[in-house]
Amino acid sequence: MLECIIPNNIVCHAVEAMLFASIACSVLGVIITQIKISSIGFTMAHAAFAGAALGLFLNIGSTSMAILCSIVVAMLIGPLSQKAKMSVDTTLGVLFGISMALAIFFIAYMQYLGRGFNANVLLFGDVISLYREEVYSLAIISLVAVVFVALFYKEITTIIFDRKIAVSSGINVTPIYYATLFIIALTVALSLNIIGGLLLYVWLVTPAAIVYQFCYNVRDMFMLAPVVAALISVSGALYSLEVSLPVGPFTAVLFSIVFALAVIISPKRKISRSKI
Amino acid sequence: MTENRTIYLDGVYTAYEGANVPTLRNISLEVREGEYVLVGGPNGAGKTTLLESIMGMLKITHGSASVCGLDVRKEGLQVRRKVGYVIQNFAFDPLTPYTAEQVVMMGRYGIMGCLKRPCKADFRAADQAMHLVGIEDLAAKPIGILSGGQQQKVLIAQNLAKEPSLLLLDEPFSNLDIAAREFITGILENIAGKGISIMMVSHAFDDLPDRDIRVLVMNDGNITYDAVSHPGDVEARVKSASGVV
Ligand SMILES: Nc1ncnc2c1ncn2[C@@H]1O[C@H](COP(=O)(O)OP(=O)(O)OP(=O)(O)O)[C@@H](O)[C@H]1O
Ligand SMILES: [Mg+2]
Repeated sequence: MLECIIPNNIVCHAVEAMLFASIACSVLGVIITQIKISSIGFTMAHAAFAGAALGLFLNIGSTSMAILCSIVVAMLIGPLSQKAKMSVDTTLGVLFGISMALAIFFIAYMQYLGRGFNANVLLFGDVISLYREEVYSLAIISLVAVVFVALFYKEITTIIFDRKIAVSSGINVTPIYYATLFIIALTVALSLNIIGGLLLYVWLVTPAAIVYQFCYNVRDMFMLAPVVAALISVSGALYSLEVSLPVGPFTAVLFSIVFALAVIISPKRKISRSKI
Repeated sequence: MTENRTIYLDGVYTAYEGANVPTLRNISLEVREGEYVLVGGPNGAGKTTLLESIMGMLKITHGSASVCGLDVRKEGLQVRRKVGYVIQNFAFDPLTPYTAEQVVMMGRYGIMGCLKRPCKADFRAADQAMHLVGIEDLAAKPIGILSGGQQQKVLIAQNLAKEPSLLLLDEPFSNLDIAAREFITGILENIAGKGISIMMVSHAFDDLPDRDIRVLVMNDGNITYDAVSHPGDVEARVKSASGVV
């Protein structure tokens, strides 16, 4: 898609992948951080990780199983926290534990069987060896995420403001909540190969946290988060490929630096010393 | 006579998930258009539960409930679009990124329906509601940094913006100063005069409108007292029905 600007095919795919992943993750990240379920990123990343491990174990492709597992987990979160009368946070913790246990089990078992398994890609991501299809599917999911938020903007913002107020104003909360979880699951599963399960959290949480330092308005957060995330991701990818640094980790560090700067210069922490 | 009946409950039981016994037991109640109902009773009597049952937000296990001509058990979503409900306990994060104006507009979101953007009528309703409650100057402020009473007014405006046929208020005066109580009472009296039914849980008896008031007292999940009263007698009636001497 960006071939005309970036002639090198590998660099081009890497930049595209980072661009789309960062847009999808940051838009959803605004929802995740405002609804205070940021551990969802962790849980889904590890569900996808477990799925990928299972896929490799069964020899049926890691991506499809990663997607399947994170969708299953996404669909479990809502009902489980309702039925088991647990907080969403506890539910996420339980599901995280199960995912991790399954992932480690399959990896250990494969090693026991003498089948080598390299978890590095799933943990740390790899932007160098991407297939065209992976980039396309990321493009699609980032489009889906943006369109979904745009279409259900008023419902989503009311639900993240206060669920009870959303219900009493006559919004059909449950389907929108579940659809949100579903899209988060897809995004996480598709981004896993690029950013890796351990660093995905940075893409999901940090952009929203950065723009939160400057926004008093949720609309601005939704507009700014993807812009900031895309700028950091693309420049991080371009620079680290140029000087041969690991792309994902370098960009994650870049995100953290920008976050630290944002906190330092945030107007939200200033106290007026004016006497009038 | 069913057409001017805003609330009709017949033998309603409501149970919270996981509770052994129903919280509301055998509630029957009829409220007409333009009635002004005050609900009293001790803490834990089931007042909030009654309001949320009317809103279709809780599971009604037995009995029939119809609100604004809609079956609460089947058409809860439609009921919630016609009924305003000012909640009792709200706590907004000081940094929550919403302005007062946006919060008022949320009252319109249900009736607007999915995939629709606010149109002129919606902005007008929100503006009018803010004007009526006297919070135009707060419109652009973040909701989280407002005082408790100011936030309460925003929530009242939110529900007025809905242009409801029935307005439920759960202790709306708990955060309001004396002037604001009188002011809001005036607004409620006014909209009741236009045929909108008001049902308000309150323990404040010195700010009642100068009109007949229907007094309900709840005790332990039942309505134990139900009579029309003059504003001056309300306090004594609620007290005696609640067993307070
Ligand atoms: N979510 C819940 N789950 C289980 N039981 C509940 C729940 N909410 C309320 N109850 C119980 O239902 C009963 C009625 O509660 P409700 O909140 O309706 O009382 P109230 O009359 O509004 O009291 P207050 O004056 O304190 O607001 C109480 O015994 C309470 O413990
Ligand atoms: Mg209550």
